[in-house]
Amino acid sequence: MTGDGNEANNPLMFLQAWLKMSSEMWGASLKVVSDAGEASVGEDHAKKGSGGKMMDSWMSGLKALHALSAAMSEPGAVEGLLKGANTLPEIVVKMVQPAMEGFLHLQKEWMEKAGRIGKSTAAYNFDNLDQEAFRAWSEIYEKEFRRFLNIPQLGLTRFYQERIGEAADKFNVFQAAMAEFVSLLYLPVEKSSKVVQDQLAEMAEKGKLPEKSKDYYRIWIKTLEGHYMTLFKSPEYAEDLRRTLDALSDYAAARQKTLEDALRLLPIPTQKDMDEFYKEIYILKKRIREIEKKIRNAGTQRE
Amino acid sequence: MTQTKIPVDLLLASLAEDAEKAQVRVQKASDVLLERLETDIGVTPYDVVYEEDRVKLKHYKPVSEPRLNHPLLVVYALINRETMLDLQPDRSVVQTFLNNGLDVYMIDWGYPTRKDKFLTIDDHVNGYMDNITEFIRERTNSEKINLMGICMGGTFSVIYAALHPEKIKNLITTVTPTNFDTDQGLLHIWMKHVDADKLVESLGNMPGDIMNLGFLLLNPARLMIDKYVGFLENMDNKAFVENFVRMEKWIFDSPDVPGETFRQFVKDFYQKNLLIRNELEIGGKRVDLQKITMPVLNFYGKFDHLVPPAACEMLTRKVGSKDTRDICLETGHIGIYVSGKCQREFAPRIVQWLKERDFDEDMRSRVA
Repeated sequence: MTGDGNEANNPLMFLQAWLKMSSEMWGASLKVVSDAGEASVGEDHAKKGSGGKMMDSWMSGLKALHALSAAMSEPGAVEGLLKGANTLPEIVVKMVQPAMEGFLHLQKEWMEKAGRIGKSTAAYNFDNLDQEAFRAWSEIYEKEFRRFLNIPQLGLTRFYQERIGEAADKFNVFQAAMAEFVSLLYLPVEKSSKVVQDQLAEMAEKGKLPEKSKDYYRIWIKTLEGHYMTLFKSPEYAEDLRRTLDALSDYAAARQKTLEDALRLLPIPTQKDMDEFYKEIYILKKRIREIEKKIRNAGTQRE
Repeated sequence: MTQTKIPVDLLLASLAEDAEKAQVRVQKASDVLLERLETDIGVTPYDVVYEEDRVKLKHYKPVSEPRLNHPLLVVYALINRETMLDLQPDRSVVQTFLNNGLDVYMIDWGYPTRKDKFLTIDDHVNGYMDNITEFIRERTNSEKINLMGICMGGTFSVIYAALHPEKIKNLITTVTPTNFDTDQGLLHIWMKHVDADKLVESLGNMPGDIMNLGFLLLNPARLMIDKYVGFLENMDNKAFVENFVRMEKWIFDSPDVPGETFRQFVKDFYQKNLLIRNELEIGGKRVDLQKITMPVLNFYGKFDHLVPPAACEMLTRKVGSKDTRDICLETGHIGIYVSGKCQREFAPRIVQWLKERDFDEDMRSRVA
């Protein structure tokens, strides 16, 4: 570096000058405050109470700032600081890049799978359904989002947080299962429309189209009924029904736990309390009835 | 290129005609729907003669002198309500029984609440049913009673008759599942996949609405679409509307099923099929169908999708009785009780069958 006009534009030189000035300013302030403090001590030693403590605190702070400014004004330190500032964008990129890649991967998978939703299947055939198409959201949720709800919770309220996380998780799983189940119930409607269209085209070719609108409805409802029967007998449907009911049960149980946490703060019994109470009454009633029967039978035998 | 023969002119004419008819129908329907409709169900007069917890015993007021020596106890299912046997005055199984001189008692299971979730099949059969049987025996001074079960109530009746044969004169089962190892009915297929433990743990009792949804899904095309299309086509007919609304009232009046009973019914019956194999245990006692030695009349519907013939017809071969009869009617699960045709084939045949077997034990021994 030379001493020409470019020096003013050099950030290193500028920063060094500013740090030097700063160090000198904090040094001067420290001296003034120190002198004033010594004078006050001489005047009235007894008054050195809270005011004295404040003075000590000021002195200590100014010393620290002076030391810091002096250290920072050293040429090596300034260079290091500038170097750090230059690498900041690089650090940010390194932090953002994996998250961005993950998101893009997710979006790609999602689009691929979602694109298969509604893919038509053969009439009166529900074997080997492309369930994956309807499970796009479930898979992505389980792979990417669910983990966040299962992050270990810490501290005094960890159990409550865990239960809220669990309820949110089970709700999402239930919603996904329900959506899949409903989409499965829609399939016969889609297939029936296709079959009826083909059937009508064939009838039209033969010139045997029905004349009454009611006849068209009858053809459609009969076809729809047939498709539903085929679907309901398929193992895929039974499996889907089981999964939906399981998801409903899991969600109901998890929701109950969070509700019970909330109810504990109120002066009313929880479902668990009531169930325990009901069970006790149930057992007691049963015992009383057995005893009553025994007494009655004993009385009959005596007669 | 072949020219398709689409009767466009006829189609359009038909649509125009339909639209015109629909307009007239809607106008008439608004009059029908806005006037007073008779849609009450279960109107045959009765007294509640016994109560225990949520359970009531109805005793129907006789309309003539009793013509049978033994009273009849009707046990309905825990699903839906017993009002189905008395849906409308001209199609009432109860009314037919009364007109023929039967002394009719019927169990009203009521609406189970959360406190009933621990009630088992044992509590229903050896508890409520047995207490009610004792009450009727004492009230009517009869050694034995006639027992008639409907659907799940029929299954309970079979269990009761096997555990307490000394109290039952004749057993009538109607659309009663006893063999659950069949793929004929959709319920039998679906129930094998249901995790009953999980459902009961989370829901307590099995909600009636969930079960009703399941029943609608047995045939959504007919039960959720075609049925209402039929209503729209006949909504200007007052009698049709009244009957339709009565049926709707009955169908959607669905009490919850006590959790433990539901769990046991799914696991021991649908999944393990213990009853027909004589392996079922109720209240610590094995249910042996060979102990059913009284006469058995077994009704079922040929087109019953809920309880198909395969689930019903095995019973008469497994019981110990030599006086058994199977009657398969050409109808479905509900039609057996409410269809006009079955009004002539169902209740009158039960009355006749009971009359033929109404002799008194003492009288028989005297004759012998």
